[in-house]
Amino acid sequence: MDGGGEDASKVIHVKFVTKLDSPFQVPSSSVVIPSNVTRLGLSSIVNSLLTLEKHEAFDFLIDGELIRMSLEQFLLAKGISAERTLEIEYIRAVAPRKEEKPSLHDDWVSAVDGSSSRFILTGCYDGLGRIWSSPESCTHILEGHSGAISSIAFVNSEGAENVTVATAAKDRTLRLFKVDTAESGDPTTRVGAYKILRGHKASVASVAAQKYGSKICSGSWDCTINLWDTDEATSELSVAGKRRKGNNQAEETQLEGEAESTFVGHTQCVSSVVWPEHDVIYSCSWDHSVRRWDVPTGKESLNLFCGKALNTVDVGGEGSALVAAGGSDPILRVWDPRKPGTSAPVFQFASHASWISACKWHKSSWFHLLSASYDGKIMLWDLRTAWPLSVIDTHKDKVLCADWWKGDSVVSGGADSNLRISSGISIS
Amino acid sequence: MTKKSQGANEDQVKEPKRKIVPLKSQKEAKEVKSSKKEEDLLLDSGTDSDYDGCSLSGSLNSDDFDSEDDFDSHRETQDDSGHEGSDEVIDSENGEEEDGSDDEGSEQREVAEESDSSEDEVAPRNTVGDVPLEWYKDEKHIGYDITGKKITKKEKQDKLDSFLATMDDSKNWRKVYDEYNDEEVELTKEESKLIRRMLKGEAPHADFDPYAPYVDWFKWDDAIHPLSSAPEPKRRFIPSKWEAKKVVKLVRAIRKGLIKFDKPEEEPNVYLLWGDDSASDQKSKHLTYIPPPKLKLPGHEESYNPSLEYIPSEEEKASYELMYEEDRPKFIPKRFTSLRSIPAYENALKESFDRCLDLYLCPRVRKKRINIDPESLKPKLPSRKDLRPYPNSCYLEYKGHTGPVTSISTECSGQWIASGSTDGSVRIWEVETGRCLKVWQFDEAVKCVAWNPLPDFPILAVAMGVDLFFLNTELGTDEEQQRIEELLRLDNLPELDEAAAAIAKWLPDEKYRGIKIRHFKNLSYIDWHPRGDYLSAVMPGGETRGVVIHQLSAHSTKRLPIKMRGLPVCTLFHPNHRGLFIIATKKYVRVYNLHKNGEPIKKLETGLREISSMAIHPGGDNLVVGSKEGKMCWFDMDLSSKPYKILKNHPKDITNVGFHRSYPLFASCSEDSTAYVFHGKVYSDLNENPLIVPLEILRGHSSKGGVLDCKFHPRQPWLFTAGGDSVIKLYCH
Repeated sequence: MDGGGEDASKVIHVKFVTKLDSPFQVPSSSVVIPSNVTRLGLSSIVNSLLTLEKHEAFDFLIDGELIRMSLEQFLLAKGISAERTLEIEYIRAVAPRKEEKPSLHDDWVSAVDGSSSRFILTGCYDGLGRIWSSPESCTHILEGHSGAISSIAFVNSEGAENVTVATAAKDRTLRLFKVDTAESGDPTTRVGAYKILRGHKASVASVAAQKYGSKICSGSWDCTINLWDTDEATSELSVAGKRRKGNNQAEETQLEGEAESTFVGHTQCVSSVVWPEHDVIYSCSWDHSVRRWDVPTGKESLNLFCGKALNTVDVGGEGSALVAAGGSDPILRVWDPRKPGTSAPVFQFASHASWISACKWHKSSWFHLLSASYDGKIMLWDLRTAWPLSVIDTHKDKVLCADWWKGDSVVSGGADSNLRISSGISIS
Repeated sequence: MTKKSQGANEDQVKEPKRKIVPLKSQKEAKEVKSSKKEEDLLLDSGTDSDYDGCSLSGSLNSDDFDSEDDFDSHRETQDDSGHEGSDEVIDSENGEEEDGSDDEGSEQREVAEESDSSEDEVAPRNTVGDVPLEWYKDEKHIGYDITGKKITKKEKQDKLDSFLATMDDSKNWRKVYDEYNDEEVELTKEESKLIRRMLKGEAPHADFDPYAPYVDWFKWDDAIHPLSSAPEPKRRFIPSKWEAKKVVKLVRAIRKGLIKFDKPEEEPNVYLLWGDDSASDQKSKHLTYIPPPKLKLPGHEESYNPSLEYIPSEEEKASYELMYEEDRPKFIPKRFTSLRSIPAYENALKESFDRCLDLYLCPRVRKKRINIDPESLKPKLPSRKDLRPYPNSCYLEYKGHTGPVTSISTECSGQWIASGSTDGSVRIWEVETGRCLKVWQFDEAVKCVAWNPLPDFPILAVAMGVDLFFLNTELGTDEEQQRIEELLRLDNLPELDEAAAAIAKWLPDEKYRGIKIRHFKNLSYIDWHPRGDYLSAVMPGGETRGVVIHQLSAHSTKRLPIKMRGLPVCTLFHPNHRGLFIIATKKYVRVYNLHKNGEPIKKLETGLREISSMAIHPGGDNLVVGSKEGKMCWFDMDLSSKPYKILKNHPKDITNVGFHRSYPLFASCSEDSTAYVFHGKVYSDLNENPLIVPLEILRGHSSKGGVLDCKFHPRQPWLFTAGGDSVIKLYCH
C-alpha cells in the first residue's frame, strides 16, 4: 500500500474505518499513503486492501466531511494536522449502479411517487395516472381527469391490498382512486375515481397525504391550500345532496367532496405541499415563500422568504426538520427553521443549470437528498459536501419530477415521456 | 569686597564697591604707560597686560616674563580658567576682581576660582536684588535664598551685649555688619589698611607708587615730537558740501526718471526659430490675440533624400493624376543625390500666399476647453445590485412555432402565456414547464394576441389580416366556461349604425366556436380595456376611421368620435382613469377623453421620426414610447408634453416596450435581437422625478429576425421575449 508513496514527497499515515459490514471491512492497521491522492486513489487503495472480486466505489469522510479534492488540499483547507494518524471513514459511494429500462408514457411524465416500496405512481400530461410494479410493467391506469395530472400521492401506502391514490390535475380537481393490488393487472386494469374533490378555482399544483390518516392537502394556482377527507363514509354524508354523474362515465356514480378547510396566506400559486408530520404542512409558493401550517388551527407558524419563485419543497434531514426547496433558479436551498432569528439558507447547492423542478430528502438518511432540474439532470447531494455526489443525466429533456424509491433507487419522469429508474444506490 | 565696619552707615557700605570701578580704569590706564613696579601689583592679571602690551608694542614682553616667575602658581590657576573660555582672559574686570581677592587668603580665592565667570565673586546669600532694604525692615526675613526660601533675620544683640562684646573682644572693632546678607564680616588687616589709605586719599595699594619715574616708551628716531600735535581739522566735523551736491544731482536724476531701479531683463538677441509660439502670444499685448495655427512640420517625405518607401511608384503617380486636384497629395517626395542638386521649390510663393490667405480669411476663435473627469459627468445612479430583482438570465424556452413569433400575451395569473406567429398558429403555453397546451391554426399570419385582463374571463383576442377573433381558451371553471360560451354565441346581433357596419362585421367562427370580426382594413394592433369588455383595434390603413372600439358584451362596434390626425400606430386605455384613451400616431401621442365625446386632453410631442410602440405605467402618469429609430422616450404626463428622458440604446428599431404591473421595471425589445430591462421607479411624491436606471441587456435570440415582442410576467419579475427565431424565451431574476 505504500507502493504509491515512493514518488510522492509527502506521505500520511491513515487508518481506514467503516461502519460497513464484513465484506467491506479492512484490517484496522494504519497505512502510509501519499498525500496527493484524491477520492479515486483512496478508493483504489481500499479496494486493493479488501481484495474484492468486484471493484467497489467508496466515498471518504474525514471529521464528517466528504473528501472532494486531493487529501493534501483537504487537510490544508480544514487545518488538520498531517502529522498524526488520520482516521478516514469510508462509505460506499452514493451513485446509481444500475439503470433500469425506461417506461414509456404517452405524454410528459409530470408526477411520480415512490413512497410505497411495491409500486411507483406516475402522473402524466395525458390525464392518466399509472401504477408501476416494476419498470416497464404498468399494472393499473387511473383515469378520469380531463387535464394533465400535476401531482400524485399514495394516501395510505401501508395498506396491504387496497391502496388509495390521490391525484391532482390541471382541470382544477383532485381525484381519489382505490386500487386493489391483489388484481394481477395482466392486461393493465383501468380504474376510475371513487371520489372527485372539487373546490379549487384554478389548476391544482400539488397534493400530499397525511402519513397515518385519511386526509390530504392540495396546493393550487388559486393561492390556497385545501384540506380534504378521503374517507368514503363521511364524504357521503357531507355531500349527499351533491351527487352528480361523472363527466365521462355516465353509469358510474362518483362521490364529490368539498374542502374541509382552506389555508389562505400565499399570494401566488402554491406550487408544492408536503405533509411530513401529523399536524404540520409545509408549502412553497411562487410568492417566494415557504410556509409551515398548523393543521388544527389553520394558522401559519413559519414563513421563510426565499427571493425566488419556488417549485418544490421537501422536509427531511436531521430530525426531519430541514427544509429544502428549489425553484426558478438553479440553486437548491436548505433552511434550518430551528435556527432562531435568521431566514438565510444553511446550505446552497448550485450545480444545476436551470430551474429546479423537484427535490426530495432520502427517507432514512439525514444527509442525502436529490434534486431534479429542467436541464435534464438529477443530482444526488450530501449535506457534507457542496459538490453533487452523482449526476444522473439519462433524461433527454426537462426532468419534471423525481423521487426516491425503496431507499436505493431514484425514479424520475420528464418531458421525454419516460419514467426512468436508477437503482443500486447504496445509502447506509 | 563689599565690606565695611560695623556701625558704618549704609552709604558707606557701598562705597568700596563703587570705588572699585574707577580703580580699575585707573589701573588700566596706568598699566598702559606705567612702570615695572606695577608688575607686582598686576599679579594674576598678567594675561591682561600681555594682551594690552601686545597690542601696543612688544617691548614689554621681557618684563612680563620676569614677573611670570614670581607668580607661577597663580598663573597656572589662571590658565586653567583661561582654557575654558579664552574670551574671559581678556576681561579686565575679571582679572581685577581676582586680583583683589588674591591676597585675602585661599578661602575666598577658591570661591572666586569656582565661579570662573567672575561677574559675581561670591554669590550673595540674598537674592532680593538691588531694592531698598527698608522694604524688609518690618519683615522677619531679609529676603530669599537661591532656592526661594526666606532668609530669616538674625536675632539682634541688644546694645549692652554688643558693648560688652566690644569690650571683651579686641578685634570687635574690625567687624562690619552686612545688612544685605544679614551677617557680620570681619575685615582683615590688609583690608583695614586699604580702607585707611583710601580715606587718606592715597592709592589703596601700598605697593603702588604714584610718583614712579617716567618711562619714555616712544622711539624717537628722527622725530622732534612724539606724535603730530596738529589739531583735528574742521572739515572732519562738518558735512561735505560736494557730497551734498552729488546727492542732489542723483535725486534730480531719479525724479526725472533718468535712473531706473528695476530694469527689465535684457532680452537675449538669439531666439528659438522653431520654438513655441506662445511667446508671441505674450508679445502681443491685447487679450483677443489668438496665435495662428501652426503648420505641420516637415516629415521624412519632405527630406531631399527620403527612404525608398516614401517614394511613390509610377502607378501611384499615375493614379495621382487621375485624382481631383483637391484630393491629390500636395507634395510628392523625390530623391536627390545631394543637397546641391535640389531645385528651387516651385510652390514656395503659392504656399506662403495660401497660408496668408488662410490666416486672413479664416476667423480664429478661442475655444474654451475645460478639464473635467468624464466619470464625474456620469449621473449618480444606484447600483444594479440594489435594484434587484430584475430579469437577467434565461432558463426556459417555449419552442413549437415554425415562424417568427410576432406577439405574446400573458394571462393575468401568470400561469399561461399566449403567442401568435407568422406561421398562422396561436399557442397557449404553460409558463411553469414550457409545455404547449393548445394550438389554433389559422391561414394568415397572426399580428397580435391579447388575453382578456379579467382573471375569470379567459378569452383570447387574436388579430390577423382583416380579422379579429375571440377565442375561448377553455381554461376557466365550469361556470366561467358557460358564461364565455354564452357570450361568444352570436344569436341576436344588434343593429350597427351604418358607419360602424362599414368598418366591421361580426361573424360567428364555426371552426373554433368563437367570434370573428371582419374589418375593412388590415389590423395592426389590439388592446383590451382594463375592465375587459371593450377592445380597441387599430387599422393603419383606415386613416380617419383607423381606430374602432368593440364591445364584447353587446357585440357592437363603435367609431371613435375623434378626428384622427395622422396614421394611428397603437392605442392604450388609461389604466386608472376610465374615460381616457391614448392614441399614438407616427409622430405624436394624443390623449382623449371618451366620456366627453372625444375631447382632446393632451398632445405629447415625442420628437421621434416614427413611433412603433407605447406602454403606460400602471400608475397612469408615465408613458414610454418606443420608436423605429431605436429611441425610447419617457413622458411624465403631468410634467410636460416633452419627453422627460430619451433613452437611445438600441441600434435598430424598437419593436415593443412594456411596463411591469407591480415591480418598478420596464423593458424594450428591438430588431437587434436584444431586450433592455430598465428600472423605472415613479415616486408618489410629485416633486420627485422618476428614477430610470438601465439594468440589463438580455441577449439570447438568434440575430435573424430580432425580438418582436416582450411582455413581463404579471406577478414575477420575469420577462418573456418573442423572437424572430420562432422561440419564446423567459428571463428570470
